[in-house]
Amino acid sequence: MSATAGAARGALKINDAVKLYEPSGARVLAVDHCSLDIRPGEICMIVGPSGCGKTSLLNAIAGFHGLDGGSIHLDGRMLCGPGHPQADVGPDRIVVFQNGALFPWKTTLENIAFGPIMQRRMTKRTAYETARRMMADAGLSGHEYEYPGEISSGLRRRVEILRALMNDPSVLLLDEPYRALDALTKSVMHEALLETHYRTGTTIFFITHDLEEAIFLGHRVVVMTARPCRPKQVVEIDIPHPRDYGVLTSRRFRELAAEISAVLEEEALKSFTRGEKEGGVQ
Amino acid sequence: MADGSPESPGVDAVRHCIEAALPFKALTGGTLDALAQAAECIDLFAGEVLYEAGSAADCLYIVEFGVLRLEPIAKTGHPAASAVMRPGQAFGWIALAEQGLRRNRAVAVTPARLLRLCGSLILNLVRADPAVGRMSLEDLRAVLQAIQLSPGRDAVPGHAASPVGSVVKKPAAIEIGLFRVAQWFRSPAPYMMLLGYALLLGFWYLSVQVLKLPRFAQMPGLTAVLHEWFSKNPTYGVSIYTPVYYQHILVSLRRIGIAFALATGLGVPVGLMLGWSRVFKDYVFPLFEMLRPIPILAWVPLAIIMLPGSELPIIYLTFLASFFATALNTMLGVRSIDASYALAAECLGASRWQIFLHVVVPGALPFIFTGLQISVGVAWFSLVAAEMISGQFGLGYLINTSYTTVEYPTLVIAMFTLGIVGYLSSSLVRLAGMWLMSWRTRHLALGELR
Ligand SMILES: Nc1ncnc2c1ncn2[C@@H]1O[C@H](COP(=O)(O)OP(=O)(O)OP(=O)(O)O)[C@@H](O)[C@H]1O
Ligand SMILES: [Mg+2]
Repeated sequence: MSATAGAARGALKINDAVKLYEPSGARVLAVDHCSLDIRPGEICMIVGPSGCGKTSLLNAIAGFHGLDGGSIHLDGRMLCGPGHPQADVGPDRIVVFQNGALFPWKTTLENIAFGPIMQRRMTKRTAYETARRMMADAGLSGHEYEYPGEISSGLRRRVEILRALMNDPSVLLLDEPYRALDALTKSVMHEALLETHYRTGTTIFFITHDLEEAIFLGHRVVVMTARPCRPKQVVEIDIPHPRDYGVLTSRRFRELAAEISAVLEEEALKSFTRGEKEGGVQ
Repeated sequence: MADGSPESPGVDAVRHCIEAALPFKALTGGTLDALAQAAECIDLFAGEVLYEAGSAADCLYIVEFGVLRLEPIAKTGHPAASAVMRPGQAFGWIALAEQGLRRNRAVAVTPARLLRLCGSLILNLVRADPAVGRMSLEDLRAVLQAIQLSPGRDAVPGHAASPVGSVVKKPAAIEIGLFRVAQWFRSPAPYMMLLGYALLLGFWYLSVQVLKLPRFAQMPGLTAVLHEWFSKNPTYGVSIYTPVYYQHILVSLRRIGIAFALATGLGVPVGLMLGWSRVFKDYVFPLFEMLRPIPILAWVPLAIIMLPGSELPIIYLTFLASFFATALNTMLGVRSIDASYALAAECLGASRWQIFLHVVVPGALPFIFTGLQISVGVAWFSLVAAEMISGQFGLGYLINTSYTTVEYPTLVIAMFTLGIVGYLSSSLVRLAGMWLMSWRTRHLALGELR
């Protein structure tokens, strides 16, 4: 199956994005003239030093906050840009949060069916029907009536991704979703995510600190500069999909890892020394 | 401590042992060889401790011969049922979850020999083994999940370690209830409770009737009170056989009921609005914070002047304290909700009103019910204060009149009745909370509050 199976949508075009914070007078330039084209159906992995502005960029795409310059287009439609600095939050771009945001007071099934019911796109019955089918497809049958607090953290992440996919989004925005998971759970998550991606072809914008994860999952890995954030280097991961864990031990994988980590380290060092000099404030 | 001995048995034997014990059906020869090479042999003498609960778990063990016992250390400090590991069985699976901690201690019952496998090594090998594929990782995942779901279990019996995802059964409401009752009786709580009562009553009995302490001379004795309470012909006219006793209780209950319902009906919406709407909060909260510290007793004269009759002032006073407790806790509840829930709901296309209904209200529910618990408590408090000042009936009134007419046994009966009725009413609120928040109580019932 090719990387862009499914509908060719979810092209995200970020153009000269600028994000500026001004808390109590001190100016923090988080994102500066950042341009990035994300291809439809691509898994685009974002890595960069801690605090460089990755989340700020993601929040602008999601519409959680506005931009101070530049524009973002999704499939040719302007999300935000001149005259409309903040994108509308909507089910075409769904965020999966680092600590997970499944509603603890709803069962997994109710969580997954939440979107379409809220948007009045489906009746309750069809929504639950669809959600149940979706869980079955993902091999999660039997967990429908459990509350998020009762299932393992790995399962919670998978349910949350299903909840997003229920809305047939153009882009999934993942902000270090697997950060808190142990190694084994993580690897299961990766395989499940790839499997889902091969089925749906949804574009994925994925922030991570885990290089192995970035290379294993991504079509491309974008290394961001130290703050302010903009792409420093975009690395094509030329390992064919579908991938499995055998890839991890391949030579090409190690070469790519060495290449990316060299770039990343340089940036991390920059942000570190600057932090030392300026006390972390620009 | 256990020491690794270099002169391990033949690699073939080790390989066979590993193959039999690990739940991977399709490990290739190469992987098995690598595992067998890396396995370390450990001899234990009877009674030797392999690891303690709480220590870092980095290795998995397979029993070659001998018997080990895994003793879970339950949170209450009681040793729960332990598992016995026999030859061919593997344990210590938690080592495959990174940074796991041992949940039990492992002790050799007889002299034993174990194979030790490093957890991270297994993970790496299995992941790199193309033949293992997704299924086995899923199996392993299921095994680990089963371990994590059953507290105090670090062992999966030998080769039976096939997928266990479906084994974890969801408890029904009745099962949970029974479980809790059984749990309660197994804990020291009920006996401590009885002891507490016995101490109080014993002290009362001794100080009044046996030692006859000077300051307690006026105090009715335990036996006198009990006799009066359960007498068909009470000296002072109030016992469980007289209708007037129930009239007092009912009048008080009715006032509490009305005041509490009003306080909840108004306090919860006001609290939700205070937490949810900036504008509303800016208008109302300063006023709220100014009125809230005024003690209920300070309101008494004004309440009597303002409101007609004796019933309305009492209800008003009872309502007031409850209202503040409920509203304040509800507001804190809304503020305590993680912002990502509202953002997630917005992403999923929920309108502001839908977010209010589906996120704010259920999210604040735990705090709301804490508020309601406090609220019933202060309701009884202000009720009795109000009844002592005005009114014709009610437990507070009974306390006051029996004091002025020197009917002390009746006074004590009224006090105990208040205690019982108050306890029952707050239990009722707690039950309502559990019923509404089954998503939380299911955990509490399983003793796994996260
Ligand atoms: N609301 C805010 N107000 C002021 N400064 C902010 C705000 N949010 C983020 N920042 C600053 O902007 C910079 C970028 O933050 P951001 O969270 O986007 O980084 P990040 O790349 O996601 O970091 P991490 O890898 O640690 O998640 C940081 O220096 C941070 O201190
Ligand atoms: Mg971030």
